[in-house]
Amino acid sequence: MGTKRINNNRRNFFKTTAALIGGTIAISIVKPFELIGQSKVEDKSDDKTIKPLWGMGVDIKKCIGCGKCSEACKIENNVPKEPFYFRTWVEQYTVKKDGEVKIESPNGGIGGLKQSVPDEDIFKSFMVPKLCNHCTDAPCVQACPVGATFISPEGVVFVDETYCIGCSYCIQACPYGARFMNPITKVADKCTFCYHRISKGLEPACVEVCPTDARIFGNLRDKKSDLVKFLQKNPTEVLKPHLNTKSRVFYNGLSSEVR
Amino acid sequence: MPKIIFRLLLSFIVFVTIFIVIKQLVIPNSFGDYGHYRANSIDDNKGRTLYFKGDEKCISCHQDINDLINTDLHSEISCETCHPPKIDADTDCKVNPPKIKGTIEFCAQCHTKNAAREAIGFPNFDIKEHKGDQNCIECHNPHAPWELKE
Repeated sequence: MGTKRINNNRRNFFKTTAALIGGTIAISIVKPFELIGQSKVEDKSDDKTIKPLWGMGVDIKKCIGCGKCSEACKIENNVPKEPFYFRTWVEQYTVKKDGEVKIESPNGGIGGLKQSVPDEDIFKSFMVPKLCNHCTDAPCVQACPVGATFISPEGVVFVDETYCIGCSYCIQACPYGARFMNPITKVADKCTFCYHRISKGLEPACVEVCPTDARIFGNLRDKKSDLVKFLQKNPTEVLKPHLNTKSRVFYNGLSSEVR
Repeated sequence: MPKIIFRLLLSFIVFVTIFIVIKQLVIPNSFGDYGHYRANSIDDNKGRTLYFKGDEKCISCHQDINDLINTDLHSEISCETCHPPKIDADTDCKVNPPKIKGTIEFCAQCHTKNAAREAIGFPNFDIKEHKGDQNCIECHNPHAPWELKE
């Protein structure tokens, strides 16, 4: 009886091992073909090609630093009026003759930017409007521990106010400083390209009010849109290209001093 | 079946059921429809209040000003650039008209002297030097700046 049991055990051992190895091999062969059955996934990727992909162009050669965009943004998006909460703001860069670069943005440019360096010291000076760059590979989305910030299929980076836990990781992760902690809702807040406006066919508030048309908004997938025309006409650059964020805010006439 | 195995199996089933129920309760609707986020959040953003109404809404009452503004250099500027709304778009603007004070400071927001404006050829000048403390709108019509008043 004793020998019989040992034989059985050995047989069982071989059986189980064979089953395990066979099963693993079978699954690894079947797995790559799983996608074929899931037609749902393919439908969604079809959706993406139809949906618009929003982006913005900023023409530095047209911006006069009046700050109307920052002001309008605060009205449209109920951003607190204190000078340290901005979804968009304008900076004035002044390169002095001795090579020093002065960057200033008092109150985000609201009320108009004023020249603070005397004329004789200035080598060059220009305005740079800034906002969320709506990166394709957004560092803020990677940093969020709860999935409250995300890139929508239309290319807009959102914060889910009901899901955000207010940990501020995204604010630290953003290389453009485009996020802030909203003191009223206590969650992270940022530019949404005025999604409530663009989804109704309107332009974002900052684009609407810009008196010199320095901001161009449009659909990157529509080859006839103003934005695509702007990108075709001008040699544009994104901010901090070395970070590979593949941002969707394009600047024309960007100097190397801009950070 | 031995009693101990039965108990083990039962507690296992109970544990799994509780886990599934909690998972269903904790994960919000539409989470994961497009990715690792709540897809309904996009719709929440869609429903927000509009404030800026757009030129067409203004022109529907103020056709005369639109005709005037189109004759001069300020034709490219939207109404709400200078007249930001004081109420949301669904409310009649007669309730709280978007009036502004035509002070020197207001015109100066765009037109005061600045090296960056000079560089791109935008009309900018030392307002004090130009006409002292005289208000701009005493001579210039803000809707048609080169239609000078006497």
